[in-house]
Amino acid sequence: MITAIKINDLTKNYKDVTAVDRLNLEIYEGELFSLLGINGAGKTTTIKMLATLVKPTSGDAKVFDYSILKDEERIKEIIDISMQETAIARKLTVEENIEFYGKLSGLDKLELNKTKKAIYETFGFDKIAKKQASKLSGGWQRKLSIALALISKPKILFLDEPTLGLDVIARKELWKTINELKGKMTIILTTHYMEEAEALSDRIGIMKDGKLLFVGTKDELFSKTSKTNVEDSFIEIVSGGELA
Amino acid sequence: MKKSLSRIIILTKRDFKEILRDPLSLIFTLGMPLFMEILFYLIFHKLTPQFEMKYLAPGIVVFAQSFIALFVGLLIAIDRSTSFLTRLYVSNAKSYEFIFSYALSMIPIIFVQSLLFFLVGGIIDSSIFSINMIFAILISLVTSLLFIAIGILLGSLCNEKSIGGISSIVIAGQSVLSGMWFPIEGLSEGMITFMNILPFRNATKLVQNTMNGINDVYKDFLIPLIIVIAYTIVSFILAIVAFKRKMKSN
Repeated sequence: MITAIKINDLTKNYKDVTAVDRLNLEIYEGELFSLLGINGAGKTTTIKMLATLVKPTSGDAKVFDYSILKDEERIKEIIDISMQETAIARKLTVEENIEFYGKLSGLDKLELNKTKKAIYETFGFDKIAKKQASKLSGGWQRKLSIALALISKPKILFLDEPTLGLDVIARKELWKTINELKGKMTIILTTHYMEEAEALSDRIGIMKDGKLLFVGTKDELFSKTSKTNVEDSFIEIVSGGELA
Repeated sequence: MKKSLSRIIILTKRDFKEILRDPLSLIFTLGMPLFMEILFYLIFHKLTPQFEMKYLAPGIVVFAQSFIALFVGLLIAIDRSTSFLTRLYVSNAKSYEFIFSYALSMIPIIFVQSLLFFLVGGIIDSSIFSINMIFAILISLVTSLLFIAIGILLGSLCNEKSIGGISSIVIAGQSVLSGMWFPIEGLSEGMITFMNILPFRNATKLVQNTMNGINDVYKDFLIPLIIVIAYTIVSFILAIVAFKRKMKSN
């Protein structure tokens, strides 16, 4: 297995709060790794540090051998991110959004057309291509937001709470899309929805108060906690058995 | 360098489309000031020289520019709150490229504003048509930079909800402290000094004087120009610092 991300003692302090506390973790190429945790566990801060958006207080991480401290530009060339907010250009159409982000990512006309075609197929954008993004439903907007992150053909894709606030149908549709991406790139996903992590993940990491409490596959998680689903296992680990 | 220029062009096109497709921005930057220009002229021009077209048209041009601060600020605040800027930042775009693009996207709107308000003013009162009108349009592009810089600064500091309220202070400042809506002779000396050290009255005076002929180059042109440019430079520096900080903290 090739290591895509290797995190060494990564720490982030905000004034008197330690958002991420000496995190050590290895994520492999091609896997879908879910980072779980309650609010304030440090998931988003971890993702932001790996995406070079936030500087760590101490420690380092290597993204395909590039250091997040020294090789910011190189890392940005091989990653993309879809934040929990729907990050799209609202007054542009779906097609214009894709073209805008494609051009910004440096794609030439031929590459852009090929990418557009592939994205339309994966996400089913054909019927809504000419619609203004602000007039789409929440589910379609989120799909567009994730689709934009794929345009640069990243080797690593960060998905921060991709289905937050979506209805159950939109969420299931998005799971299907994410499942189709599995294996094509390394995906690091943060979520509050345990069933999401259960349905999509190859491996799971559980964080609390900036610390990593567990890393492993679902089966390893179930065997550690003697539970049969991710939600119960998560509660067991995060509450230290008090709420189980 | 070539990549950077290409990114600025791509970002500028997008920003321009976002602004142009917001009906409110067109109403406030073009429609409402035009309506005010015609209405105030028709009602007041025989009562007070303040509203003669040679003063009103350049005054309206600068007044309309104050709305640019609101809309450029709103665009940045929304881009920040939706993490759109964060996404673009990951795409390797740089802070200065964003700032250039926000500023450049406003230039066509500002040009249309100046052209429209001067031309309509000229149609109503043809005596204002002269070569000076072209100089006034050009100098109004300089005053517009002040409001663009203020807009970028406010957009970097405020969120989507607060930007409207905060920007209205700038619009009110331009409206009241420019002295374009009322004769300032009756005001106290302290108040007039206050108005003269702020950029709003100087921006209006600069375009009005350029339009109507400059008698004293130093007093009528250079002093207001220096004050407006000084505020513009300071606002741009603060805007760049605030924007960079927010990009990192977001």
